[in-house]
Amino acid sequence: MILLWMPARPCGSRVGTMTSSSEPVTYLDYQSARPVDPRVVEAMLPYFTEHFGNPASLHAVGDRATEVLEQSRAEVAAFLGASPEEVIFTSGATEANNLALIGYARRNRRSGSHVVITEVEHISILNLGKFLEQEGFRVTRVPPDRYGRVSPEKLRARLTEETILVSVGWANNEIGTIQPIAAIAEMLVGTGVAFHVDAVAAEGQIPLDMSKVPVDLLSISSNDIYGPQGVGALFVRKGVRLAPVMIGGGQERGLRSGTENLAGIVGMAAAARIASQELPEESARLAALRDKLIGRVLSEIPDSHLNGHPTERLPNNAHFRFEGIEGESLVLSLRDAGIAASTGSACSSKTLEPSHTLISCGLLHEEAHGSLELTFGRFSKEQDVDRLMEVLPGVVERLRRLSPLYRKK
Amino acid sequence: MKSTQYSEKVLDHFRNPRNVGVLEGEDVAIGRVGNPVCGDLMEMYVRIQDDRIVDIKFQTFGCGSAIATSSMITELVKGKTLDEALQVTRADVADALDGLPPIKMHCSNLAADALHDAIKNWRSGKKLTPLSAEQAAAAGTSCGGVQAAEAAVEAMRQAVSAGSGALEATPSAVAVEGAEDFKGKGVFTQVDDPAALRDKRVLVLDKGPAAARLALDLTRVTPRVVYVTELDTLALPEELAAELKRSDVKILYKSRLLAVRGEGEVEKVLIRDLDEDTEYELFVDAVVLLNV
Repeated sequence: MILLWMPARPCGSRVGTMTSSSEPVTYLDYQSARPVDPRVVEAMLPYFTEHFGNPASLHAVGDRATEVLEQSRAEVAAFLGASPEEVIFTSGATEANNLALIGYARRNRRSGSHVVITEVEHISILNLGKFLEQEGFRVTRVPPDRYGRVSPEKLRARLTEETILVSVGWANNEIGTIQPIAAIAEMLVGTGVAFHVDAVAAEGQIPLDMSKVPVDLLSISSNDIYGPQGVGALFVRKGVRLAPVMIGGGQERGLRSGTENLAGIVGMAAAARIASQELPEESARLAALRDKLIGRVLSEIPDSHLNGHPTERLPNNAHFRFEGIEGESLVLSLRDAGIAASTGSACSSKTLEPSHTLISCGLLHEEAHGSLELTFGRFSKEQDVDRLMEVLPGVVERLRRLSPLYRKK
Repeated sequence: MKSTQYSEKVLDHFRNPRNVGVLEGEDVAIGRVGNPVCGDLMEMYVRIQDDRIVDIKFQTFGCGSAIATSSMITELVKGKTLDEALQVTRADVADALDGLPPIKMHCSNLAADALHDAIKNWRSGKKLTPLSAEQAAAAGTSCGGVQAAEAAVEAMRQAVSAGSGALEATPSAVAVEGAEDFKGKGVFTQVDDPAALRDKRVLVLDKGPAAARLALDLTRVTPRVVYVTELDTLALPEELAAELKRSDVKILYKSRLLAVRGEGEVEKVLIRDLDEDTEYELFVDAVVLLNV
């Protein structure tokens, strides 16, 4: 993908000068943000100006808004293999997660006060876990194996009489490991324990079929399927009871008050339609890019390691660890070369703590510091891999030369 | 402010760091601060003649600002007398770089501290040597604190001067909390067939050559073997020690296994870093405490 962006020029040229020029950015950070697909933008535009109605209004303009809202709901439902009445629009996946965890826990408190999550959840779920603890719930965090996968057996061992809800991310947003969601869902059938899945990292990349997998609640976001930011949805299986978290005019079956973000919802529906159509081919294409990159990094850069699962991983995710160097300086160096990437290093975070996902996989802090996350997307090309590999080995070597820690084996 | 919103000066020094490298000789003092666990480790090499810094080099493992502050301080003090160099403060380094993001201010502390550490070592006659690989791995000092760094360096120095004395020290016989409870549930006192631990994250506690050999054997069935020893060196026959260091076994020096934890089976261990006097959890699937 090509963006018009000019890297800053270095002021001096002394020891270890790095080249920097006005090349366009090679974007390998789709996990952080995705561009909105131009087809989606086109679908949205009329709903800002021409069709601006409020679905709650009783006149024709309002009726038209209602119609579009319900049509969009049906399209998002189709993307999930669900019925339209099982889709609740929200302001994004974080809100969907809030509605699922807080809403379910509060509504079903009489049945029990124990919630099970995993150690490798997205921060929005981890912090909801802490919030529920403050609300008086007991929250168990199940550790994963070294690939970041949580076994259904280990999860089952944590269930008690008091357990009301289990929440597991379909795939990990950092290292791309895919969880055995179908097996966990089957294991929970008949236990009376509800199953919530945060599917944000997985959506658009692997099929999410609620008609086949007995999940009760599932969060998705619009931007992660190339729709606009600020929209998301919660799938709520028929019969599952929630308490609202957002209080107001009673929109979305009373579960999510607030006038619907119609243009955003139209955009999410268009994004879902495109994602459904293109998923099989696009996943295979991205997996080929991923495998090419993983193969090249591991063979061309000494003392490099792959984080996450070798096969059960998202088609767009490659996550590495390089011995002896620190991730933020790696990302900064790539930035200078016009490449956008991410790291799980503490030094790039607000808290100066390394990635909890990498630590849960069994890495030591010092190992987690040297990680590099590369994620592909709809506009990635094979040349992006080549471009990265023109630069990455040299960057790693330069930083290792600066480092007192790196010693060749 | 984002951690990567650096000034042009910081980016310049990160991209083109001045005075990278090491110095050798009788007239060279070495200072060292930081901790790889926290993501930064700095070494300053200062050549001193007639109480004046005539040359200075550094090596740094760390983020962009850690590298930039190291580079900047070498420029600031080159040619200065030791007393003048000691006047250079953390704030001076940050100012010279046109400021640092608030969350990165500790990096400027590190650079100033590494320099001051070198001068202090010179004046007290303390000679540090460049880190060997295992020393680097064991150089755990508190995040950004020079006091703890000094303590750690001192501990390292004493261990070196103690020579073989340290080698004769036996691993602590202190009971590991939870070890009994998890026997058969991830804690092993003997391993007849390494294949039983295929693909597991295995922690092997240092119990001498048998444990080291088992750790090596395990690398054939799993990529993750952590060898924990309380010593700062491997108290093993030379060849075995060399083989262990060359292998994929991750060696944790100066570390004490305190507890085994989990629900129903081993899930993590609690380790004390003996240098830093801090404790942390490590996620593992199996713990091998050989009966020897």
